[in-house]
Amino acid sequence: MMRHWTVALCALGLAAALVWAGSTPVTAQGAGSIVGEVKFSGTPPAAKMVKVNKDTQVCGSDKPSEELVVGANKGIKNAVVSLAGAKGPAPKPAQKPALDQKGCQFTPHVIVVPAGAEVDILNSDGILHNIHTFSSANAAINKAQPKFKKVMTEKFDKPEIVKVQCDVHGWMQGWIVVGAHASYAVSDDSGAFKLDNVPPGKHKVEVWHESLGKLSQEVEVKAGAPTKVTFELAKK
Amino acid sequence: MSPFRSKLFQSVLVLAGTFLVFRFGIQPPAPWSVITLYMGVVLLALLVYVSSDGDSWQAFLAPLRALLVDDSLMPIRVAAMIVLPLCLGYYAYTQAAATAEAPPELRAVHPAPPASISFRGKTVDIQGLDNPLRKDASNLKKHAAEGGVIYIKNCMYCHGDNLDGAGHFAHAFNPPPANFTDPGTIAMLQEAYLFWRIAKGGPGLPKESTPWNSVMPAWEDRLGEEEIWKVILYLYDATGYQPRRWEEGGEHKHSAQPSPVRLAGLPGAALLTPRAAEAQPAGDAAQGKAVYERKCMLCHGEKGDGAGPGAPLLDPRPRDFTKGKFKIRTSVSGQVPTAADLFRIISEGMPGTSMPGWKVLPERDRWSLVAYLKTFAPDAFKETPKLAVLPKEVASSKESLARGKEMFEAIECNKCHGAGGRGDGPSAPELKDDWEQPVRAANLTKPWNFRGGSGTRDVATRLATGLMGTPMPTFMDSVEKPEDIWHVANYVTSLGQDKPAFATILTVRSASGPIPDDPAAPFWAQQPAADFPLAGQVIVDPRNFNPSIDMVTVRAVYTDAEIAFHLTWDDPTKSAPDAKAKTFADQVALQFAARPAEGNERPYVLMGDGSNPAYLLRWASDAGVGEANASGLGKLTPQMGEAVQAKGMAVFADGQYRLVIKRPRVTRDLGDPEFLAGRFLSVSFMAWDGGAGETESKMSFSSWYYLRLEEPGSTQPYVIPPLVILVTVALELAVVRRARRRAQGA
Repeated sequence: MMRHWTVALCALGLAAALVWAGSTPVTAQGAGSIVGEVKFSGTPPAAKMVKVNKDTQVCGSDKPSEELVVGANKGIKNAVVSLAGAKGPAPKPAQKPALDQKGCQFTPHVIVVPAGAEVDILNSDGILHNIHTFSSANAAINKAQPKFKKVMTEKFDKPEIVKVQCDVHGWMQGWIVVGAHASYAVSDDSGAFKLDNVPPGKHKVEVWHESLGKLSQEVEVKAGAPTKVTFELAKK
Repeated sequence: MSPFRSKLFQSVLVLAGTFLVFRFGIQPPAPWSVITLYMGVVLLALLVYVSSDGDSWQAFLAPLRALLVDDSLMPIRVAAMIVLPLCLGYYAYTQAAATAEAPPELRAVHPAPPASISFRGKTVDIQGLDNPLRKDASNLKKHAAEGGVIYIKNCMYCHGDNLDGAGHFAHAFNPPPANFTDPGTIAMLQEAYLFWRIAKGGPGLPKESTPWNSVMPAWEDRLGEEEIWKVILYLYDATGYQPRRWEEGGEHKHSAQPSPVRLAGLPGAALLTPRAAEAQPAGDAAQGKAVYERKCMLCHGEKGDGAGPGAPLLDPRPRDFTKGKFKIRTSVSGQVPTAADLFRIISEGMPGTSMPGWKVLPERDRWSLVAYLKTFAPDAFKETPKLAVLPKEVASSKESLARGKEMFEAIECNKCHGAGGRGDGPSAPELKDDWEQPVRAANLTKPWNFRGGSGTRDVATRLATGLMGTPMPTFMDSVEKPEDIWHVANYVTSLGQDKPAFATILTVRSASGPIPDDPAAPFWAQQPAADFPLAGQVIVDPRNFNPSIDMVTVRAVYTDAEIAFHLTWDDPTKSAPDAKAKTFADQVALQFAARPAEGNERPYVLMGDGSNPAYLLRWASDAGVGEANASGLGKLTPQMGEAVQAKGMAVFADGQYRLVIKRPRVTRDLGDPEFLAGRFLSVSFMAWDGGAGETESKMSFSSWYYLRLEEPGSTQPYVIPPLVILVTVALELAVVRRARRRAQGA
């Protein structure tokens, strides 16, 4: 009887330790995960400033560009890490993805949506914006979103990285990453990311950043354990 | 008696018939003076005929006599006696009140060429000279193709893609650029003649051709000998004409010519009607390729990527067909245009750009071009585009315009197009197209430049579909109510005049009392305005292929002491010199001949030359009003200190400058022209948009125009006509009385 309790406690402790280590409970049988960082190689340049020369009461004053954000420890924000050749359709997100225009910035700056998903494009600013996309697989969009048009819904059918800009406010730029599968992650302020549910085995992990380009690495993922990867991106 | 047997009736019938034949039967229409002469001859012949014997004459006169004496014809007699003096009085009024017409410009169209010219210091004998490149028969096609590239980079702006003298700068020039497709131009001339004209241009014309009025540059400054011969080969190759050949003994003779392609619009192709769209033939892409390579490739590129040799100098750039993004469509945003959309643009061209209409091509060829264009973006054209469905049309009305204005402001059209619609909005300077090329927001007050047409339906369609590949988005679902699309379209089409009021004479009106200095004073709005087109200066480096300012509107008045000019022009930015931003002061200048002209001779239009200098009244945003003397571009001497008697001020609002510039009619300075009333003087205009990097020779300019100070209010139009009426009535009464007396006596 006592042995049973010990085993149970140990198992619980192990589970707790796993949760504490930051990994979500393993859902797929024997799946691993990839955790890591995207870092800037070399001395990061000083943040570019965008000139806010119109609608300043809504857009604010000059602000740092989101084109390249390097945080503490040279971590790069808004890099998209994905598992090359991951299988299966992307799951439907629990919540409809939304891209907001707030303070004359696209929020979030980079959004990952599964192919075929609808995206709500919000205008929280109450001034004219226009959603102008640059894409080749999906139909190009250039729609006006005046102050009274709070929400527009757009559908992105084909996997592709789509640039979004607003011509009214030339500095506004964002990215919609239309994913072919579920294995995508966007790096946070410190450059950290995490890909879950990675089947054990050899994988190619790719990173893409809007101004630093692409890079990939081979990794070996072990069942039930996180694999660590560090990407170093340099100025092209 | 049947009226047809009446000699008088027959005569009237013959006169009316011959008039109709002269007036409408002769093409091109004969001038009025000629028609009057012909009618005089016919009248004389008729009188000879009816008076050939006594009886006939009596028969001719009988109805007239009856009208004068017959009591039964009393009402007709009275009516005739009232109508006739009124007609004569009206005629007298039109003659007395006639406005001054510009003196006729007599010039030899094809002046005799000199025996030899000096080409970059080398003597070239024109007499008997043949195109040396024709001897190299194996490379003829290659040389002609190279000539085409030179043509598209240098000549097309004025002489046009079609070689018809209708390039996008052509409307600004007088005399107009030569139309090479006209059988009266290159088909009648030897190639050596063309060489002379191209090498020496307007400045090299002999005196009988009124030097300096032609803006044709002397191309020897820019093109080498062989390049000029290549262009000449291209001109003949592209038009299908043969040059005239030199004959033994110096005489020349017409060579056999192929029948030239006439440029008159093809019947039924004027506008694509919906019915024509239904009946659109399936073009043949292979056939289209052949047409494309002849007519389109020099700008749009061999691969259809909009990167032909002519492209870098054009703004907007020629379309890149490979992306499947087209501006002017009836299809919904994000989709390719319909075949009918493409056909329409090919046929009509795009106003305000270098894309001409191609109605010179047979309809079948244009449909083939449509088929070929689609092959540049096969994936994009795979699916049939969905048409944008506009709500029911709303006619323009006071209410519609008010709602349109409200919506124009709510959807913030002003962000790019400016509050007044002049393309001067805060976002305008940074706009780029999908190819990262700077793009200008449309000036909504100049509908004649709207790429897709100026009709309200055109404007509503652009709002609904957006202009793909440009920052202009679709507003289809982005107005409050669907019909707002029409209200905004009605409002946009109300923003400017329908078309410019281009004038050939600037009439300076006589004014009493002081002339206001303030350009915004109501006084100026009451003065009649004349528009003058400007074109880019592409003769001297740095050249201005894409001028920002394409028109000035001018009002002018004078008093005993002063003359004043009021200029209005659109400029999207009020700019000052800034080395870092590469901007300069905004400027405008009025150019006059420094010396009174002999006949039609004027200084060279680009600020004169050493023998015939120019005088400028000018204004700059950083220096204000001034005067200058010039003897050529870059040879400008501003007047200083006391010599400057010109004054004035400018205001800038909503993308538009208004300027008053005035000067004593006679100045202390002997070098300045005097402004005498009743004389035909010359004036031309120049403008610089410093915000677009325009300065010095990078400018837009106009041809020479006449300027005339109208003589103070003549009373003639009010005195002469009543006199004419009185005299006519008196004569009528005398004739009737005499006729009646005679009749009674008989």
